Amino acid sequence: MADKVKSIDQATIEMIEKAAEDGASIVFERAVTTRPCPIGDEGSCCSICAMGPCRVPLPKGKEETEEEHRKRKGVCGATAETIAARNFVRMCAAGTASHGDHGREVAKVFLEVARGEAPGFEIKDEQKLLQLALDMGIEIGDRSNSEIAVDLGETLSKEFGKQEGELLFLKRAPIKRQEIWQQMDVAPRGIDREVSEALHRTHMGTDQDYHSLLRHAVRVSLADGWGGSMIATELQDILFGTPSPVASEINLGVLKEDEVNIIIHGHEPYLAEILAVVAQEPDIQKYALSKGAKGINLAGMCCTANEVLMRHGVPIAGNFLQQELAIVTGAVEAMVVDVQCIMQGMAEVASCYHTKVITTDPRAHIEGATHMEFDSRNAAESARKVLRAAIDNFPNRGKKVRIPQYKNNLIAGFSHETINYLLGGTFRSSYKPLNDNIINGRIRGVAGVVGCNNARIAHDDIHVTLVKELIKNDVLVLQTGCAAMACAKVGLMTPEAASQYAGEGLASVCEAVGIPPVLHMGACVDNSRILMAATAMVKDGGLGDDISDLPVAGAAPEWMSEKAIAIGQYCVGSGLYTVFGVEWPTIGSKAVTRYLFKEMEEMYGGMWDFEPDPIKMAKLMIDHIDKKRKALGIDKARERVLFDMAMRRELI
Amino acid sequence: MEYEFEKKPAPGRGEVKVLGKTYEEGLPEGEEMGKWRQKLPSRAEKLKYLRNGERYWFSKEWFGSERRRTPA
Repeated sequence: MADKVKSIDQATIEMIEKAAEDGASIVFERAVTTRPCPIGDEGSCCSICAMGPCRVPLPKGKEETEEEHRKRKGVCGATAETIAARNFVRMCAAGTASHGDHGREVAKVFLEVARGEAPGFEIKDEQKLLQLALDMGIEIGDRSNSEIAVDLGETLSKEFGKQEGELLFLKRAPIKRQEIWQQMDVAPRGIDREVSEALHRTHMGTDQDYHSLLRHAVRVSLADGWGGSMIATELQDILFGTPSPVASEINLGVLKEDEVNIIIHGHEPYLAEILAVVAQEPDIQKYALSKGAKGINLAGMCCTANEVLMRHGVPIAGNFLQQELAIVTGAVEAMVVDVQCIMQGMAEVASCYHTKVITTDPRAHIEGATHMEFDSRNAAESARKVLRAAIDNFPNRGKKVRIPQYKNNLIAGFSHETINYLLGGTFRSSYKPLNDNIINGRIRGVAGVVGCNNARIAHDDIHVTLVKELIKNDVLVLQTGCAAMACAKVGLMTPEAASQYAGEGLASVCEAVGIPPVLHMGACVDNSRILMAATAMVKDGGLGDDISDLPVAGAAPEWMSEKAIAIGQYCVGSGLYTVFGVEWPTIGSKAVTRYLFKEMEEMYGGMWDFEPDPIKMAKLMIDHIDKKRKALGIDKARERVLFDMAMRRELI
Repeated sequence: MEYEFEKKPAPGRGEVKVLGKTYEEGLPEGEEMGKWRQKLPSRAEKLKYLRNGERYWFSKEWFGSERRRTPA
């Protein structure tokens, strides 16, 4: 890594150099000094009992013989297949648990709001509330929003601990997809139940057939995409508003030298939402002025950033690998964090500057950070305390302040409902124009490019190269998470990007509708929006009758977290072809990898793939899109025939 | 507004004159700009929109890929 390019983003490169000058230890440096374990990397290390850890790596530099393969076993006799599959299932379970626990917390706050116990919040989107009520069969009539919301909150809260039946949101999927889940017996019963069962199955001496383990990996992951993540997205939309197009800015250049800079980082948006409101209060603004600042500048980081960007246009300071670098600017008074993807290293970086790292969630403490717990029942006061702590820290700013002058414009806020609206207005909102343009070939297909950053590869490089290649080939790109931020930083999320980067067909559609060729759909829990958009495309007609029929592909080119694996697995289990970059965690077992890369397609219509090179990755995705176009019979332009009456009679 | 026109190649017809961009350049300001859901103020209108606009899930009177007599 020492001689390799660490990032393609100039703001990042400038701050990596400043960190070295200031003597701050950051992730880019740690990625050089701490190498990945080559055995864990391929999924060949089993540490689930005290007879191990057992390491069963593939032989290096040669083809494995049958005899060598037979010897690759743990002390208990677990094969390389069982070990790789168990590790994979545990990744899926951890990812599902994370999104599930996020969804559970949203449901808790939602119920408090519905019952009038959380005065800082209100139901902002009645339409989405009614949508969910129709979905769940909750009576609407003349009932108040609060009454409907209580029923909805209670119904969805039960999804976590449900023991039997199926998750309610599965009914939103295309009918054929539901049939596949039933045939394969992978329809999740309850979110927590599937996570708990995954941990049991992977305990020493339980499920020891990789086919059976990997089938449960589908079930537990579907409990993420069509369960925890979807609950989080939908209830957040009701509470804070369904995203609509909004303009903003992105990159470290959004920080302001003369204002109190507060960064909100993590994944759950309640505190960030209330901070955005309370920061405007005259008393708080006056307090900031009294400390010598000209105002308060809120900026986001990671997926909390995506949440408040999508709904309020709050600018984004950066993605996952920029969290420590924001502190390195020396201009951040407080890094306010909630849950997930928060590097512990930030606390040490902060000790080189004046920045206060403030943890706010009882589930996520960090040694050396200040803990100021967020109370949803007294949200405004919680937010005021955080803001005052940040303002009090402004006079402590040192001389080591340097804000890189890089930022770009973006348009975000493309929920699946908004895409539907943009394609037809309130009179006839529809996915038909999208389907029609796929059928006529102006748009070749659709790709979801999502996921994290990873310090093992050049930051943002794979995302940007892949997405540019896709849109050049007329593939409309939907994005979430840190992947979306990478592309926004290079200007791919403005309408102008269509004529600059997209192929002629895609550009013509984007110009007609007035949208960028790369659409920001939100945070990583909002990959559930991509599932819904794909379902709407299926249901509209003309592109088959299942998600697996669509000319669509997915990718997480710079993934790093267990959540990404769970997301990938629920996409594959929902019928999508999904390519990951960086590394692949089951390489240690050829049979397990073959199951995921080949055999799953026969069972679920979707399958995994792995390719670290972005151009080759784009080619794989485009090849898959072309394969699906061919199967649908839309791979060639057809002659247009005007039917006369005789031909019409023949049709009847 | 005055319309702009541009020339584009068309198959078999050489260059044709087509309508150019019709949008006003510049950046929208404020988070309210892109919000469209406020166009539906009453509950009745919202429900009507859901049954038409989100017909994929909330209406039986449309022609999509799933015209089945028996649910899955």
